Amino acid sequence: MNDFYIISFNSTHHAIRAEKLLVEAGLSVMTLPTPREIAASCGLSIKFEFNDIEVINSIMKDNSIERRGIYHIFKKESKREAIKIQD
Amino acid sequence: MSVKVDAKGLACPMPVIKTKKALESIVEGTVEVVVDNNVPKENILKFAKSIDCKAEVLKNKEGEIVISIEKVKNNKVSIPDEDITCDTFDNNIGDEVIAIMSDKMGNGNDELGGVLIKGFLFALTESNPLPKAILFLNGGVELTTKNEATVEHVKKLEELGVEILSCGTCLDYYGLKEELKVGSITNMYTIVENMKSSSKLITIG
Repeated sequence: MNDFYIISFNSTHHAIRAEKLLVEAGLSVMTLPTPREIAASCGLSIKFEFNDIEVINSIMKDNSIERRGIYHIFKKESKREAIKIQD
Repeated sequence: MSVKVDAKGLACPMPVIKTKKALESIVEGTVEVVVDNNVPKENILKFAKSIDCKAEVLKNKEGEIVISIEKVKNNKVSIPDEDITCDTFDNNIGDEVIAIMSDKMGNGNDELGGVLIKGFLFALTESNPLPKAILFLNGGVELTTKNEATVEHVKKLEELGVEILSCGTCLDYYGLKEELKVGSITNMYTIVENMKSSSKLITIG
């Protein structure tokens, strides 16, 4: 778990709804607590396969799901970092 | 075409290098590697993933772990030996025991409770030290049987050396005995012993 992409949410409800929609669409996703590198609050994020990013964006847009953003999480010099790659 | 590799007793990265050599020797087919502990196992699985080969753990016993890797024609295995790295997975195992009494975390909304327990088990996989054992009781046995997302996290914990025990009476009551996906079945005596011998018992219900 040292290099992956996640969608981070401000709202738990939006995260739960997004997970349902993405699972229904047959995508391989995993809900996890938002990594500390992104936010200290107790939020939810969804880990996804980077190749699915376009499908995910369109599903989220069609269903008006709000998100904090899409982040790339990776390890740099044995420390985990997060970079926002999309709003 | 099938090739067998015995990598027991070898230190990393030798098992990975031997696996790579075996994969290079065939155009397509399977390579079966035998290793004796989790460190080479995890590293071989990681290597297989990095070259897009399907890998499966056929046998997972202490001292004898068998991994089967499938190579198809267009898999490229040409990675220089010196680029093969090994993780040591040096997670420490503490002596805490966690007892999970329900398939939800806390009382309130059930949907939220399901999301929380999933997040809890995931966060646990990243914790250090890891608990010595996790006990699943009553509705908690859903998490080692029917709930695919939590089964995945619990499998990861088992790979890292955490003992996973599901209550047999509970599995039987819910008709889930045949559906156990991770860990082993235990009885109340073992559960009591585990609880009493732990330095700290964390109960999640």
